[in-house]
Amino acid sequence: MNFWEKFALLDRRIIFAFIFLALAVPLFYTIRQPIPVSPEGQAYYEAIENLPAGSKVLLSFDFDPPSSPELQPMAEATFKQLFTKNCKLVVIGLWPQGPQQAEKALASALKDPRFADKKLEYGVDYANLGFMAGEDVVIQKMNSDLPGTFPSDYKGNATVSLPIMQGVKNYKNFDFVINFSSGFPGTREWVQFCVDRSGSKMIAGNTAVQAPENYPYFRSGQLLGLLAGMKGAAEYETVSNQPGKGISFMGAQSVSHLIVMLFVILGNIAFFVSRRKK
Amino acid sequence: MRKPLLLGALVFLFLFISTPAQTPPAPVSDLEAIDAPDDAGNQVDLNWKPSPDETRAANPVIGYQILTAPAVDSPFVPIGTASFGATSATAKDGLKNGRPYYFKIRAYALDSSFAESEVAGPVVPQGSWWNTKPAYIRIFIWMALVVAFILYNIFLAGKKELYIRPIGGINAIDEGIGRATEMGRPILYICGLGDAAQAATMAAFSVLGRVAQKTAQYQTKLIVPCYDPIVFSICQDVVKGAYLNAGRPEAYNEKDVFFVAQDQFPYVAAVNGIMLREKPATNFYLGQFYAESLMLAETGFEAGSIQIAGTDQLIQMSFFIVACDFTLIGEELFAASAYLSKEPEQVGSIKGQDWGKVIFAGLSVLGVVSVLLENKIHFFGFFKKLMINE
Amino acid sequence: MPEMVSITIAGILTLGIMSFVYKDNPIYKFCESVFIGVSAGYWFVSIFYQSLLPQLTDKIGLTGELTDSALAYYRQTGSLASGQWFNLIAAGLGVMMLMRLLPKIGWISRWPLAFVIGSIAGLRLIGELQTNIMKQIKESILPLWAPQYADGSLNLAASLGQSLTNVVLVVGILTGVIYFFFSKEHKGVFGGAAKVGIWFLMVTFGAAFGLTVMSRMSLLIGRIDFLLRDWLHWLG
Repeated sequence: MNFWEKFALLDRRIIFAFIFLALAVPLFYTIRQPIPVSPEGQAYYEAIENLPAGSKVLLSFDFDPPSSPELQPMAEATFKQLFTKNCKLVVIGLWPQGPQQAEKALASALKDPRFADKKLEYGVDYANLGFMAGEDVVIQKMNSDLPGTFPSDYKGNATVSLPIMQGVKNYKNFDFVINFSSGFPGTREWVQFCVDRSGSKMIAGNTAVQAPENYPYFRSGQLLGLLAGMKGAAEYETVSNQPGKGISFMGAQSVSHLIVMLFVILGNIAFFVSRRKK
Repeated sequence: MRKPLLLGALVFLFLFISTPAQTPPAPVSDLEAIDAPDDAGNQVDLNWKPSPDETRAANPVIGYQILTAPAVDSPFVPIGTASFGATSATAKDGLKNGRPYYFKIRAYALDSSFAESEVAGPVVPQGSWWNTKPAYIRIFIWMALVVAFILYNIFLAGKKELYIRPIGGINAIDEGIGRATEMGRPILYICGLGDAAQAATMAAFSVLGRVAQKTAQYQTKLIVPCYDPIVFSICQDVVKGAYLNAGRPEAYNEKDVFFVAQDQFPYVAAVNGIMLREKPATNFYLGQFYAESLMLAETGFEAGSIQIAGTDQLIQMSFFIVACDFTLIGEELFAASAYLSKEPEQVGSIKGQDWGKVIFAGLSVLGVVSVLLENKIHFFGFFKKLMINE
Repeated sequence: MPEMVSITIAGILTLGIMSFVYKDNPIYKFCESVFIGVSAGYWFVSIFYQSLLPQLTDKIGLTGELTDSALAYYRQTGSLASGQWFNLIAAGLGVMMLMRLLPKIGWISRWPLAFVIGSIAGLRLIGELQTNIMKQIKESILPLWAPQYADGSLNLAASLGQSLTNVVLVVGILTGVIYFFFSKEHKGVFGGAAKVGIWFLMVTFGAAFGLTVMSRMSLLIGRIDFLLRDWLHWLG
């Protein structure tokens, strides 16, 4: 058996070990690499930047902890940019752990010393209305009665008692909608039932798996901006000048991709050499 | 002492003379209020001529406020705003269908002084039965066409056999069942992570019925771990019904169809464990899948199973194509379900959709031609506007 | 200290699940069971307190009086939260669904099942038509020759680029639709067009695969970062 035939039969656990090292070792070093910003990422940033100060924004957290390495950095940077513009934020979740992820992102954003003087208050400047079961039916129902769909917030307070929710009936009372999603229900459902029905303006942050499905919506103008995966988070952190985990993880991401490409090339060579020998 | 006082008085006098008097702005004129069309009866369209004081140098108008009241002599309350330069707005907050409303526009100046327009009204917002916007007319026509095509083809399918082209993965289904029977190992059937209302899940039920009927005949074990509780209920019914139809109700083991967890990765962890412990000969992944697709397919490959997959999630197709032996791409899953079941509803739906695709392709081609010829031939200009206008 | 205990437990469970890459083992089985059990428990508590109670008891006052949130809504709006009595019907359907557990009257659960499937199918029909068909047809109406101008004169390179993009898009759409046409066998010119369509699909799948590799690596980076930074404090 020559080298290529042995390589074709390589134990996958050796590949796993290489990938693990490719991801773990770069975390110990600061790898600086240029992060070119895609048109979708630039549009995401500009959509928020062009919001008038004090705009009321609805954010939907439709993901769970497994997707947090990709979506959490986006969410934290988004909160910071929104707080910089003194926007009022209302958070909901269509996945059970979504509101919990939002709490973590809010806590991280509120620790930023830039916002210490603003004395941001729960219920006045931001609120978390929690999770509601029903998936896309919930998005549909919010078109007519948002407070009725989320009668109490994440902490058990009556939604209508929160100052930030005064006068809010449906999407038309929000200036903007932002969705972070990793599956169903997610961005696609929000475009169908929120953007197309009520004419809301929306941007979205997706996992890299989901993003290709939603590029057509960006192309057609139904989405005003789209971030895709960790690269999208890194792009957004770059363009908004808020370095965070998105940028710091890209080094490990790049090294692992090189290792994957190397194995794909070597594996294909091994495959064709073995086939030719037969 | 006198000199500073005199100087101060002179400065005050100068400022008093040079600062023009702040007069309230002129109101808007020709305010018109009409019931907004194509709504639920809670909106009123307002049009007006803007205040001439938008452009005055001192104390210009900076915006407008919309006021409403149920009667002329009732207090007018604000329900909306319009920005500087606006000549129209839609009043929508708090209006109820069938009740009369009166409207005024308040023009605000920089110094917060304001002037109100004449009252317009009464306007009674009425709900519309039909939405006559071009975008909704298009949807209605399209829906009517596709539903008509499908119903007609279902009718035809009940009368005669309609042709559906052969699909590669269909033979693999029977081969997979045969392989499991020969090896004496079970079949693992996963209906995906979608809910019961999704087309891919419904197609999965259809194929499950056929697979279950065969496993009942050949006495092969069938394991069906479910993600969604409603899908679990339906799978139980489908498998039980299939065993009844095969004449082997006693062979049905209700523990073989079970609910695992309605959480993506716990479900995957459990199914991966089942694969490595039970070592099924054949895995079926038919339905709606998300991020777990590659994990399932990889583990199945490791367990030595042959794998047949079908999903309408185009993004997950790449993993199934790479890791599975046979793949039904997108709509091939629905066609396979129709091909195997031969039910008129399913076959008719596939044929009706095919007619719809012809229309879709035709509209696309016509649209491209319209862009080329819109300025030369009137029809194409009209067609382009018909397809694009909202 | 309590946080360190929970982080340690999370770290051990992470390593337990990761041990699967070596081979299936009792530690993986234990961690898998813990994962499933905790997830089921979390979902139950979350749905019960955040969905079931607010939508059911708050609105219809099962406790005999309106709860705080419903009372506040009533004081502010003068009416009870929308869908109040509809929620009773929904509660009834939910109870009918639970009849599944009783074999003799399990058939009752088919009614709410039929309601759920039918209503959701109807709700989604318009959304899919509007968002995924009509808007996409609109976006596929593109000029095959798209001249681009810079400073009043034709930019040939940009024009060729944009025109090629448009041509690829239109050809991709049409050949993709042809591939999924089931009423005619893929032979001759039609078969050739279907083949072009499947090539477009395969390119799409390849691009999606690449993006998913990035996604998977991101997940693993997150976990490794947790192990090295939050648990072992090896990273600053």
